[in-house]
Amino acid sequence: MLDLVTLAATEAGELEAGLTAIGRGIVYVGAAAGPGVGIGIVVGNAIQAMARQPESAGMVRTTMFLGIAFTEALALFGFVLAFIISG
Amino acid sequence: MRRFRLLFAGLAVVLLGLVAGVGTAHAVSEEELREECIHILEEGGTVDDCHEAPSPILPEANEVLWGGIAFLVLLLLLWKFGYPAMAKGLDDRAERIRSDLEAADTAKNEAEATRAEYEDQLRGAREEATRMRDDARAEMDDYKAQRRAEIDAELAEYRERAKAEADAAKGQALADVKAEVAALAIGAAEQVVQKSLDRDTNVALVESYIDSVDARG
Amino acid sequence: MTTLLALDFPPVSHVTEWPDIFFEGSPLAINKVVILMWVSVAIAFVFMWAAGRNFQMVPGRFQGVGESFIDFIRNGIIMQTIGKDGLGYTPFLGTLFVFIMICNAWGIIPALQMPVTARIALPALLSIMVWVIFNVVGVIKNGLFGYLKSVLFPPGVPWPLYILVTPIEFVSVFFVRPLSLAVRLFANMLAGHLLLVSFAVLTTAMFEFFPLAAILPGAVLIAMTLFEVLVIFLQAYIFTILAAVYIGGAIHPEH
Repeated sequence: MLDLVTLAATEAGELEAGLTAIGRGIVYVGAAAGPGVGIGIVVGNAIQAMARQPESAGMVRTTMFLGIAFTEALALFGFVLAFIISG
Repeated sequence: MRRFRLLFAGLAVVLLGLVAGVGTAHAVSEEELREECIHILEEGGTVDDCHEAPSPILPEANEVLWGGIAFLVLLLLLWKFGYPAMAKGLDDRAERIRSDLEAADTAKNEAEATRAEYEDQLRGAREEATRMRDDARAEMDDYKAQRRAEIDAELAEYRERAKAEADAAKGQALADVKAEVAALAIGAAEQVVQKSLDRDTNVALVESYIDSVDARG
Repeated sequence: MTTLLALDFPPVSHVTEWPDIFFEGSPLAINKVVILMWVSVAIAFVFMWAAGRNFQMVPGRFQGVGESFIDFIRNGIIMQTIGKDGLGYTPFLGTLFVFIMICNAWGIIPALQMPVTARIALPALLSIMVWVIFNVVGVIKNGLFGYLKSVLFPPGVPWPLYILVTPIEFVSVFFVRPLSLAVRLFANMLAGHLLLVSFAVLTTAMFEFFPLAAILPGAVLIAMTLFEVLVIFLQAYIFTILAAVYIGGAIHPEH
């Protein structure tokens, strides 16, 4: 398989591959930063709510998972987008 | 259960062997790759096309097809065979718990009703006893009063009669005394008349007569 | 093939694409993923069948797990999202949950190590199924016009804002919902699988280089596998509860 790789690795190809990798990295950073903060806010507030009203913890937990799921979806779009960008 | 467990374990082992023996992902030999690349190049592709792996985010038709069939089969199986038994069992249990609770409630109500009834009866009996006692007492009092009245009346009658008898006796005695005195007077008078004596003789005569009457009476 | 610090990391396609075994090249081609799907079907069915086969008042082991599973679907998912009139969806949502969970679980079964849901096929298919169901239910319950009105013109919004809200809601409900539902499950499982593969490759390379050096990546690999257990359950749960939320929103548009 190695000689195939060598065959394919012309200079232009290498540059393109490198730029693609950088692009993927940027996409994923951009996509993950926001949701990271967002999930933190969701979980933090959920914990606060649970601490204030432990009797409603079940409802808060369900809603928290939903909130995490919606927020996390954005990061996962970025993850998938990174695969879509092909060199 | 034991037979079922053995069956299940056997199935698992067979499938594990089958699937694990399939080999690593995308294990295509180098020669095949080379041939494929030559084929691509012959069709006017570039060298980069050879190296391109299928995108991991595009669905494969066969997996979609089989996934759909598998899910629908599982859905049908669970809907027809798995779920109804469980749901029926759960509903039966809920129903049984409910009916048990209801039965317990009914039993409790019944027991309470019986107790209330007994208490009523007891209270009634007590009231009856009290009433009877009061009746008896009243009757006794009545009887007593009546007896007393009767006795009083009897006594009064006796007293009356005794008094009447005493009066009668007294009257009789007076009459007797009167008659006696009259007889005495007549007798004495006779004596006096027959003898016509002096005064001393008359007194002596009367006295002797009275003495004779005394001695007689 | 990506080379990093003299380690060969296989490209993504090489850890998720499996060669066909039977009917190669046809639309009915069977590969490892398809076999695992059918094993999942068999396990799920056999388990639920065994649980409900001889129902007793005092539950045995299988029946106890089956009962708590149905109770979880009914009280943990449906009652919290749809309400009492959603109990008819118990078989569908239960099947969804158990199928996705078993398909996820193959990712950490030794020697198999391939989550079926790390291929986009199954998540995409299931999310399209959910999309069709919640739209059909919404149209049946509210009529076509009423359903579109409840989706596109949410009440309690001042009318000028509809210029902004309506396109957003349209895209959100009819495109982002199914897409995010599929991508969430798929990307989570794929990411988890890639993490496991990376640490497995690292551990192997370290072991070949110097056995003691493999302790750290090996420990991380084990920790990641335990974390995957959580993800397996959580992703099945989130997929199912989101399906329930969408169906519930279609049944009761006022919420």
